[in-house]
Amino acid sequence: MEVDRVTTDTFEQAVEALVFASDVALRPADIARVYGDVTGAEVPEADVETAVERLNLAYRTAGRAVRIERWGGGYRMATIEGVAPFVRALFDDDGERRLSRSLLETLAVIAYKQPTTKPEVDHVRGVASDYALRQLLERGFVEIAGRADSIGRPLLYATTPFFLDQFGLADLDALPTPREIEEILSDPTFNKERARLLSELVPTLGTTAPDPEAAADPETPPDAPHTDD
Amino acid sequence: MHRVQLDQFEGPLDLLLFFIRRDEIDIYDIPIARIADEYLEAVRVLEQVDLDAAADFIYTAALLIQIKARMLMPRPEVDEDGEPIDPRQELVDRLIEYVRYKEAAGALDGRFEARRCLFTRGAASAEPERTLAPEEVTYRATIFDLISALGTALDRSIEADTPVHAVGRESYALDEQREWVLKRVGEVGSVSFGVLVSERSKAFVIVTFLAVLDLAQRQAVRVVFGVRPEDFALEPPRGEPVVDHEPALTA
Repeated sequence: MEVDRVTTDTFEQAVEALVFASDVALRPADIARVYGDVTGAEVPEADVETAVERLNLAYRTAGRAVRIERWGGGYRMATIEGVAPFVRALFDDDGERRLSRSLLETLAVIAYKQPTTKPEVDHVRGVASDYALRQLLERGFVEIAGRADSIGRPLLYATTPFFLDQFGLADLDALPTPREIEEILSDPTFNKERARLLSELVPTLGTTAPDPEAAADPETPPDAPHTDD
Repeated sequence: MHRVQLDQFEGPLDLLLFFIRRDEIDIYDIPIARIADEYLEAVRVLEQVDLDAAADFIYTAALLIQIKARMLMPRPEVDEDGEPIDPRQELVDRLIEYVRYKEAAGALDGRFEARRCLFTRGAASAEPERTLAPEEVTYRATIFDLISALGTALDRSIEADTPVHAVGRESYALDEQREWVLKRVGEVGSVSFGVLVSERSKAFVIVTFLAVLDLAQRQAVRVVFGVRPEDFALEPPRGEPVVDHEPALTA
C-alpha cells in the first residue's frame, strides 16, 4: 500500500501558513493534527519541528525580518530584533511596561521554586510580597496552582504559559541556570548601583568604612558621583 | 526623592548585602556584632526618611541582634551530634538564597527586555486602530496642550477685539454647560473646541473649558488632539472607558 508521502513543499507551506495565521502559540501537535485532518496523512510531531527549522533557515538566509519562535511550548511568528524600532513605532509602544525589581524578584522565586507559597516567597525576599504577587496574578504571569498540604493549606503559585511566552522561554527548563554564589559575589558589577544609591541616601554610611571601589579607582574622587551603568 | 531611592534599594536583605559588599566581608564569616550595630544605625536613619519602608527592616535588625546575643554566649550551642552550631548559619543560608534569586531576577529581566523587541501577529491585531494610518495625526497630549488650546480660544473670544460698551454680568453654570457640550457632541459626533466656543465671550469659553475637563475626567467625552496643538476635538467615548495614561498593567 502506498503511503502518502509528505512532500516537503506542501507540508512546510502548511506549517508556515498555520503559524502565520494564528494569533496564539500553536503546539507542534496542533499543527500535525490539522495537517492530518486535511490531508489524511499522519505526520509525527518531529516533522513539524524539522519543518520549522528549515523555514527559519530559509528566513535567515534570505534576510527576512520574521522568525518562527518556540515560546511556552508553541510556535509563534515574530519579527526579529533588528526591526524592533519600526514595529514599535507602528504600535506606539509607550515603553512603560518595564517590570519593577520587586516584581522580578517575586517572579524569579516563583519561577524557580514553583509551585510555592506566599510565606516561602516572603521568606526568601525578607519582605511581604502581597503587592508584587497581586500584580503578577493580574498580569497573567502567575496563577494559583492549588493548595499546599502544610499547616493552614496556603495557596500555591506557579507561572503560566503566558509567562513563558512573554519571557521568550520554550519551557521551564529553558529558565537561565542561576550562577553559583561565589561567582556572583566576586562579580564587581554586583550591587554596585545599590551601593551607590545607599551612600547617596545615607552619606555617613559611605564613610564609616573604607569603600574599596572608590579607593582602588584613582580616576574617581571619593565624593564624585559614579557614572558607571 | 528619598522615597524613590528607598524603593530602588528594596529590601532589608539588600542592606545587609550592601555592608557585606562594601567591606568585602566573607559571607561565611560575617562580623555580626559590627554589622548588627551598623545595620541598626542605618535603620534609624531610614526611619526618619520613610517610616513605612523602615518597618520592613526592623525584623532583620532584630534577627541580627539576636544572632549577636547568641554569639556572646560563653558556651557555644551544640546540635544533637555535639557539633557547635554557628548562630549565623541560618542567616548566611538565607542571604545566599536571596542573592541567587536576585541574580535570577536580573536574568529574567534581560529575557523580558529582549522578548519585548520581538513582535507577534497577535499583538498587531489586538489594536488594529493603531496600525491603520490615521487621517489626522494624533499624539499624546499633555496638560500644557490643553492650556495652550484654552489660551487660543480665549484670544479668539469676542472680548479680544470687540470693545466693550456696556458692563453686564454674565453667568454660566458648570452643569448647564456640561449638558450643552454633551448635547453638541452627541449631535455632531466630533466637534472642535474652537468651533464650539467661537464668537463667544471669555466667561463662556472658560466655563465651557471647565465643563469639558469635567466630562473628560468622567470619560463622557474624549479629548482628541490633532496636528494643530492650538485646538482639540471632542468625541463621544468609545465603548470601553479610555484612560490616557494606562497603568502599566496590560499584558
